[in-house]
Amino acid sequence: MKRTLPFVIIAVVLLGGLLTVWYLQRSTAEGPGASSPPPTTNASPAARTTTTANPGELGAEPPHALGSAGAPATLEEFGDFECPPCGILHPILKQLEGEFGPTKLRIIFREFPLVPTHAHALAAARAAEAAGLQGKFWEMHDMLYEHQKDWHEAFDVRPIFEGYATKIGLDLEQFRRDQTSEIVEQRIFQDGKRAHSLGVAGTPTVFLNGREVPFESLAPETLKSLINSELAAHP
Amino acid sequence: MLYSAAALVSLIGLADSIYLTVEHLSGRSVRCTITSGCSEVLSSPYATVRGIPLAAIGAVAYFIVFSLTTLVAFGYKGLGKILRLVVAAMFLITLWLFYLQAFVIGHFCQFCLLSALVTTTLTVLAIVAQRAKAG
Repeated sequence: MKRTLPFVIIAVVLLGGLLTVWYLQRSTAEGPGASSPPPTTNASPAARTTTTANPGELGAEPPHALGSAGAPATLEEFGDFECPPCGILHPILKQLEGEFGPTKLRIIFREFPLVPTHAHALAAARAAEAAGLQGKFWEMHDMLYEHQKDWHEAFDVRPIFEGYATKIGLDLEQFRRDQTSEIVEQRIFQDGKRAHSLGVAGTPTVFLNGREVPFESLAPETLKSLINSELAAHP
Repeated sequence: MLYSAAALVSLIGLADSIYLTVEHLSGRSVRCTITSGCSEVLSSPYATVRGIPLAAIGAVAYFIVFSLTTLVAFGYKGLGKILRLVVAAMFLITLWLFYLQAFVIGHFCQFCLLSALVTTTLTVLAIVAQRAKAG
């Protein structure tokens, strides 16, 4: 008995560990904010790149885009203004936008606020979309990412966002009204539908010409070489 | 006695890394309650190795340590050397991860710090056990 006891203990711990993983995964999938678990959540990033380009749902129309619609490379980001890695990606995309220019590279931003993980993500998405209704989406987008640390831990973000709205020259009264408008809600909802249809699980998730770029490849040099490959393939 | 203590300590590491693995696979960002950099650390490119969450590799490592310590505690003394090698490797990786948090990412994640504490405790226990054996 003494010889087999340690193996029994090890087997019990192994079984306990596996059951815990199963239980936690199940409760995560059934929890709030996980109403449509994406099919590729567990796929490794390497495997995801091989996924055939999936057109998915349309998303909010027209999308927030920089660059020409005929650009041979289109980079579509699903972002959350409160997510720190998205904040890190922001200057990288800015740099690529400057280097490749609007005729070669088109950048699209899609709202994917991680609710309830990020307390202010939805408010930030609403602020950006409301600014978009006055033609200043990208100005607010830049403000939110560049000052992420200033509002990330704030209790009430409304006065901060209103400060940004004033700074970029928005009509403040209209901005206040638009944040809770149906059109803003619908745009966020439509982008979310697109995200789920493409299996987006977290942020930032970036697609280059319809193919998901693995998170590890979001470094400036790697992204640049991926874009260059696309430009070479679609001259 | 020392090996039984090490087995119990490794269970803490196992629970910690299982939690982080599940959170990673769910795509959610983990919120810190003590430190302030869980999202930054756990969503950094260093949190995965060839697409495999580092937390999952940690869970496997803690399970191996638990199994080895349990077996040694039950008299399988020959496994002591392998145990020391595994713990030494884990300690070196822990030092590297601590360096990444402190100097590259610039944020600390409390769950990673707990894992570092567990690995350090295991290393101390392994050294004490080795000395007791030599003495």
